[in-house]
Amino acid sequence: MLELWLGGLNGLLHVDVLFFVFLGMVIGLIFGAIPGLGGTTAIALLMPLTYGMEPFTALALAGGVMGAVPMGGSITSILLNTPGTAPNAATCLDGYPLAQQGKAGMAIGAAGSANAIGAIIGTISVLAVLPFANELVLLFGPPEFALMGLFALAVVATASRGKMLRGLVAGGLGLMIAFVGYNDIAGGERFTYGVEYLWDGIHLVPALIGLFAVAEMINLTVKGGTVAKSAAAVKITSMTSGLFETFRHLGTVLRGSLIGTTVGAIPGLGGTVVAFLSYSVTVQSSKNPETFGKGNIQGVIAPEAAICAHDCSALVPTLAFGIPAGAEMAVFMGLLVIHGMQPGPLMLRDHMVEIYGLIWALTASCVLASFVGLLFVRPLSKITLLDTRILVPLVLSTALAGSFAIDMTIENVVVTSVFGALGYLMVRYDYPRLMVVVALVLGGNIERNFHQSMLMGEGGWSVFFSRTISIILIIATVAVLSLPLFRGIFRQLWIRKAPVERSRL
Amino acid sequence: MKRLFGTALIDYLPALALLAIALAYLATAYSYMPQARAFPVSVALATIVLVVLDLVSRTQTPAGQTLTRLFNPSALPHSADHRQQYPAMKQVFAVLSVFGFVLLIVLAGFIYAVPVYVFAATYLRGRRPLLLCLLVSVAVTIFIWALFEQFLKIELYPGLLFQES
Repeated sequence: MLELWLGGLNGLLHVDVLFFVFLGMVIGLIFGAIPGLGGTTAIALLMPLTYGMEPFTALALAGGVMGAVPMGGSITSILLNTPGTAPNAATCLDGYPLAQQGKAGMAIGAAGSANAIGAIIGTISVLAVLPFANELVLLFGPPEFALMGLFALAVVATASRGKMLRGLVAGGLGLMIAFVGYNDIAGGERFTYGVEYLWDGIHLVPALIGLFAVAEMINLTVKGGTVAKSAAAVKITSMTSGLFETFRHLGTVLRGSLIGTTVGAIPGLGGTVVAFLSYSVTVQSSKNPETFGKGNIQGVIAPEAAICAHDCSALVPTLAFGIPAGAEMAVFMGLLVIHGMQPGPLMLRDHMVEIYGLIWALTASCVLASFVGLLFVRPLSKITLLDTRILVPLVLSTALAGSFAIDMTIENVVVTSVFGALGYLMVRYDYPRLMVVVALVLGGNIERNFHQSMLMGEGGWSVFFSRTISIILIIATVAVLSLPLFRGIFRQLWIRKAPVERSRL
Repeated sequence: MKRLFGTALIDYLPALALLAIALAYLATAYSYMPQARAFPVSVALATIVLVVLDLVSRTQTPAGQTLTRLFNPSALPHSADHRQQYPAMKQVFAVLSVFGFVLLIVLAGFIYAVPVYVFAATYLRGRRPLLLCLLVSVAVTIFIWALFEQFLKIELYPGLLFQES
């Protein structure tokens, strides 16, 4: 085993291979920072360029791209509330408020270091788990996938702590939107109203650009001024404070990395769910949950650590079973096929050195990208001092062009603007946007796996109660949903009891 | 301002709008085959129940206050300050300006729409110096063109008016 790990590392330690890892990292940073592009587009565009390369070098390049995308995405999430990639939307929730307080440097520093640590933890976990991957992934079938989706929704709804009811309403809205498009279970399209574009459903990335980037640009147009309230505050921020914050909240980093590694290995859930789940669990376990969404540094650390750890663990189902954990992995599978590697159990037997090389490249890129991000903290923070009358047109133009560039359809731009208005209204009327995002990601998956489960159980519900993991997930979901109710009842009882006891004293 | 159950009528609007959307969705869902509508109908019904609870929680009745205490304790109070600070017209204009820009892109394409929008946003709305606005609009357009068309080799949308048939 150790021999294979070192073999992968040894393959990476050549000047030409390292050059391609570095090149991939630079490309990943750029693509990650531009809303709408991300790792999927980067790998798809680079794929033809790798034809002439050695398979190991091609994988190193891809690893470089995939490792750096989260850092690129977190920079725009923090500075402009514009997630470069879908998972970075979770970073916006606290990263942007920190930037508004003039603490963009600290937030980027924390994101970078959390990314790096998350990647290292993810790598160690994957290296340890990969030999047993087959057994682990087989524990999950359609009932578990459906229940896992419901559990993720429940956790995120309760994380809108103090606004659970509105969180659930937003989740309902997100699910309704998720069911738009062609239904591959019963056949035929739903809620498309004759619009051909909607047959594919609402595309996630244009919707996210709208919900966060465009909504924030509308908000800034209304408010005016600059993103950061004070120039003085931006000047004093430093990357070291972000680094210190990450190490001060090492528990949050570890928890995020653990969530990223374990949940990230489940196909279909993807980085967005992982990031929001990590954020939600951090809010739930915090002693000061009310500080989240207002600029709590743990709200940046938790999703960033999870995203990078997930990037490593997402390789497990992709490589071991040929089941892509998300769009990026699906494109990446194409790259593997081009270079004569068929994802699946045989790949684990025949190409272990390449796999370990890829994992090392991905980790190296994550760590390297974090350093590069940290180096540019100060100049990047200055963006938050730009007059919104100049910033808004620039960001809006780039965001809409990025939305168009996803698959060259102008309808994406229309979707982005509609979701921009929706996002603004949700902020204005205090409905949490994170539920819409998670519901959009999970809606189709939950429905598909639910129907498959019912087919497995021949129309009976017993299929959901026949396996241990299913039962654990059901209990966990009920517990998470009833938590605020019990908390409220106990609080009321405590308030009523307290004066009586005080009067006795 | 008119009030119902102690709350300004305008504060019921978001929940009422969501209720209307969920009802329309439910009606549409019933037109599909039983297997295709199973999930959408369940979700729409659940959403309607939740929106009704949200509506009740907005009232200043005992039931509303209990719901808020249990499920929505930190939901923002509907402040008149916010309405005064950011007038409705300003917000409507901000949203419409985005839709206007998108319409311009659909009609004239990115290369023409971007400079027009940037100039309008900086000069007419932002009231910045003319030269600065011209420079910014040209610079943003060149940035978009260079990034997408030259660097990424992605051909930007030319617009309905300039599209080759």
